[in-house]
Amino acid sequence: MNKTGFLILIHLLMASFAFAQRDPGYDRVVVLQTRIDARDLGYSPVDLIPDGESGITSLSVAPNGDVFGATSGTRSHLFVLNPVHGYVVPIGVIPGATSVTHAVVISEEGDVFIGTAPSGHLLKYTPDRVDRQSIEIEKLLPVADLGTPVAGEHIDALAIDRRANRIYGLTSPNAHLFSYSILTNKFDDLGVIAKSAPWGEKYEHAKMISRMLVVDDNGDVFTSGEDGYLFEFAAKTQTVQKLSVRAPAVPGREPYARVDAFLLDKSGMIYGGTSDGYLFRLNPEKHTVENLGKPLNQYRIAGLASGPDGKLYGVGGDESEMARMFSYDPRNGSYDLLGFIDVNRRPYFAWQAYVIGDIVSDDRGTIYLGEDERISKLYLFFP
Amino acid sequence: MTSSRAHVLPGQYRDRMGWARHFLAGALMGVAFQACWAASTVTVDYRVFPGLAQMDGNWAALLAASDGKVYAGLACHGCTGHLVFYDSKKDKMIDVGDLNGLTGEQGLEIGPQSKIHAKFGEGKDGRIYFATHGGWWFDYARFATPEGYPGSHYMAYDPLLGKIQDFGVGPRYEGMNTGAYDPRFNRIYGLTHPRGHFVYYDVATGAKVDKGRVNNWDSICRTLGIDDQGNVYGSFGPGHIFKYSPQTDTIHELSAQLPIRQKGISLGRDYDKSETAWRVVLWDDVTKRFYGVEESESSLFSFDPSAKPEDAVKRLGQMAIPELAARRDVPYATLSLTLGHDRKLYYAAAAHEFDYGGSGTLATASHLMTYDLRNGKTQDLGEMRLPDGRPVLGTNSADTGLDGTIYFVGAIGVKQGSLDGNENAGKIGDTPYRLALFIYHPKADNVHE
Repeated sequence: MNKTGFLILIHLLMASFAFAQRDPGYDRVVVLQTRIDARDLGYSPVDLIPDGESGITSLSVAPNGDVFGATSGTRSHLFVLNPVHGYVVPIGVIPGATSVTHAVVISEEGDVFIGTAPSGHLLKYTPDRVDRQSIEIEKLLPVADLGTPVAGEHIDALAIDRRANRIYGLTSPNAHLFSYSILTNKFDDLGVIAKSAPWGEKYEHAKMISRMLVVDDNGDVFTSGEDGYLFEFAAKTQTVQKLSVRAPAVPGREPYARVDAFLLDKSGMIYGGTSDGYLFRLNPEKHTVENLGKPLNQYRIAGLASGPDGKLYGVGGDESEMARMFSYDPRNGSYDLLGFIDVNRRPYFAWQAYVIGDIVSDDRGTIYLGEDERISKLYLFFP
Repeated sequence: MTSSRAHVLPGQYRDRMGWARHFLAGALMGVAFQACWAASTVTVDYRVFPGLAQMDGNWAALLAASDGKVYAGLACHGCTGHLVFYDSKKDKMIDVGDLNGLTGEQGLEIGPQSKIHAKFGEGKDGRIYFATHGGWWFDYARFATPEGYPGSHYMAYDPLLGKIQDFGVGPRYEGMNTGAYDPRFNRIYGLTHPRGHFVYYDVATGAKVDKGRVNNWDSICRTLGIDDQGNVYGSFGPGHIFKYSPQTDTIHELSAQLPIRQKGISLGRDYDKSETAWRVVLWDDVTKRFYGVEESESSLFSFDPSAKPEDAVKRLGQMAIPELAARRDVPYATLSLTLGHDRKLYYAAAAHEFDYGGSGTLATASHLMTYDLRNGKTQDLGEMRLPDGRPVLGTNSADTGLDGTIYFVGAIGVKQGSLDGNENAGKIGDTPYRLALFIYHPKADNVHE
């Protein structure tokens, strides 16, 4: 046995009985501790979004830099983080919602639009002096109910074209793509992107649609739908077309593939992550897809965000797995594997996120990762 | 708090002298504080687990069942654990089988079913219910991989038929770090490792339910307490308590607070152990409250779930060895707490940081501590030693039989040439060790000065 092998063996033997107790060696497999921090969802220990209601499933950055988030659970809450202050302020309980998934968008004017499930309503919240906002755990969020885009459907995802003052959304279970004009308060059902569920077990009925939407610089909207194909809503022609390209998947698994995450890069390219865990680059004008490979041997890309260093940052891992963070450098096509999302601030606290619900980054270069578990925190990563 | 000192019988004198020599050497090595310990002993009988000397640990998994059988889960890191029972009527140890075989996972070359790491429970049907656990986790590098641990199995052993029933995998990829069985609702409850979810298996309906995460992986409490109404309690966060109600199928977080000692030294012990959870609790049907030991300084506390939050938890004392109790590095609390028929709590306190092969460098005797619920007095009965004088190197489970016999499972040093054989599971310090079942009769005259 060589020296390295011997050291590994010793480490394993030492660690084997220290189950469920943190060993300093564990720091090697988590994100560098000087780059990551966590925030409770409120003011600990009492004025927090309650456990069971705190899974962060939507994050969005307002034009003024405030970070808004929505949770899922037995109730959904809206919260805000002003980066100047750095703490999370729960604003209120979102009416009629137990789930808000990638469905918070913010207009140029700063209005916050929320797509709810299961009620399927589009809500508008207008922030008022967020800087002096008090914590509201029990009060209903004051919203304007803009109605339901498709009767009987949940809203699964939203995206916004701020220049056009138009919101786009996806619904479930029947996979409608819709739009909402902020100026005219009018919904349009743009069509269905998945008519039937893929061949599966008898208990499987879900139609495969992407978990996010993206709007490119031309105002065109992209999503994935049936059989893993990408769909485009062209702003000029106001039509939905099924593209000839698919979300990357292992051959044979295309019908089960969906896009988990989209990110419009400053270059104008769209990056995406798939349910099979592949990263890809979509040229929105040429309609070509480059498969950039798998950063991790895990399913899912739970989110993507732009870093200040030109890299993309993302998280992989399915709901039953343990999420890991990675970065991708478009300049040389290389990945860095950053480790588990864990914040170790002994003796005050230590917490590891296993499931990430959404990721965004702000203009200051901070990447925000929302944990989606019964007990959840907001993580700040500083590339 | 009081402590007793008992005299030593002649039979133990040689061992006492041997211990004194050892102590002298230890003192020369700078561990002089041990001088005041070695004054009393309590003799416990023991049985080894024949053919299972490689089993390297036991945590919580000990049950003295109503038929006189004493069930234990024996752990093996990197290999398969075993379910065994001691038939106290026949004075015979039975190996029910290896857990990989009992779960049908033998030969798959995936992460083995290395442990039963949580409490057993006895059903109204006489069956023994439990769940399995993994062993090595490899810094979770193999979590959710084809070669990794497939997940804990919910199981039952029928002593009448001598057969195992496997209810299948519960939480995928995760082990059952903590568990309890409730005969009232006929459910196996558990806390998973590493993701800290509260889960249960409903035996009657076959439902496997995951209620979500309750804690971080490094501070999951090691015992779930169940009251006489079937409510389930655990600790989480900085000494808080949660309650699961089977009536509403919901988890509530209570405002009661455990008596957790504030952390004082930032690294070392603090780094490895969270020191924020209760380690072990048990329900007392007489006083209708829980008694438990927490992990920061081995404080003994009572928890009355029906009391007002500010009155619910009371600190009763400390179950650490008195000479160590005030030290910052008081040995980590064990899981060895049980209530005797004499209304005394019996607790086997470690004399050094004890975690079988992961223990510190010294192998010294545990002490048997008692707390009398009738008068609130604490007693240190002394070092736990075998009839041949060997020390009980540590324990991590305890239970009380119907006849009042107290059982523990823990480690003994392997004695060259003894009938136990020379095989061992590894070393505690420099001492080769193996597992043993310890048998203590509270009414017998086996406490010696």
